[in-house]
Amino acid sequence: MAEIRREGDLTVFQLEPKERQVLLEIVDRIEPMLDSSHWVSPRAYGDEELEREFHRLAGEDLERAREADLATLREGLSGPLPVRLGDPEVWGWVRALNFLRLALAEQLGISEDGWEEAYSPRQHRRPPLATLHLLSWLQEELIDSLA
Amino acid sequence: MAAVQPVVTHGTGHSASEERDRPWQVVVWNDPVTLMSYVVVVFRRLFGYDLETATQLMLKVHVEGRAVVATEPRERAEVSVAQLHAHGLQATLARD
Repeated sequence: MAEIRREGDLTVFQLEPKERQVLLEIVDRIEPMLDSSHWVSPRAYGDEELEREFHRLAGEDLERAREADLATLREGLSGPLPVRLGDPEVWGWVRALNFLRLALAEQLGISEDGWEEAYSPRQHRRPPLATLHLLSWLQEELIDSLA
Repeated sequence: MAAVQPVVTHGTGHSASEERDRPWQVVVWNDPVTLMSYVVVVFRRLFGYDLETATQLMLKVHVEGRAVVATEPRERAEVSVAQLHAHGLQATLARD
């Protein structure tokens, strides 16, 4: 079973090859949702002109940074096991996981706090919701490892 | 979660230099997905807050739907908002 622990300056993610494969498939499945997610690309201004200017200056960099974080996540999952990550890579992972969780939650129609409490055992059979919880667990464990 | 509600900014009647020097608020909005622990570590990383301050701001976002996490000159505030967006947080600029 997957486990995350700290070893000196590194975060070690111990997981089985099958678990790794599942995570990579999840990334593949959710990544296309990012482009249409309002939460992944929020506005900075209500004013259209200011927003256009902000987007012109920062939009491309933000997109590149997001792609780099997703690439860091994929590379880590594709390398030798266990996965060993320095803190910069852990930050890449937690950011990428946040984008994936935002996009998936938006797709699921989650719009209010408290959705976790409404998550009954029966809903474990609903794969997207179980996926959201799996990504939440992974992100939380990685955040703990940074602290 | 509160919906993101950016602030309209036209028509203030200030000169260009006054506009440049006026502080702007960096506002972070709640969403139902982002982990509380993540918001705390991002606030600490980007703004250098101690754990207590970052936690209080996170709770304000969570309970009230939004919180002003910094007040800065406009260019600096735009950088802060871009950094928050790069971490997947819902952030907007508003005049102080």
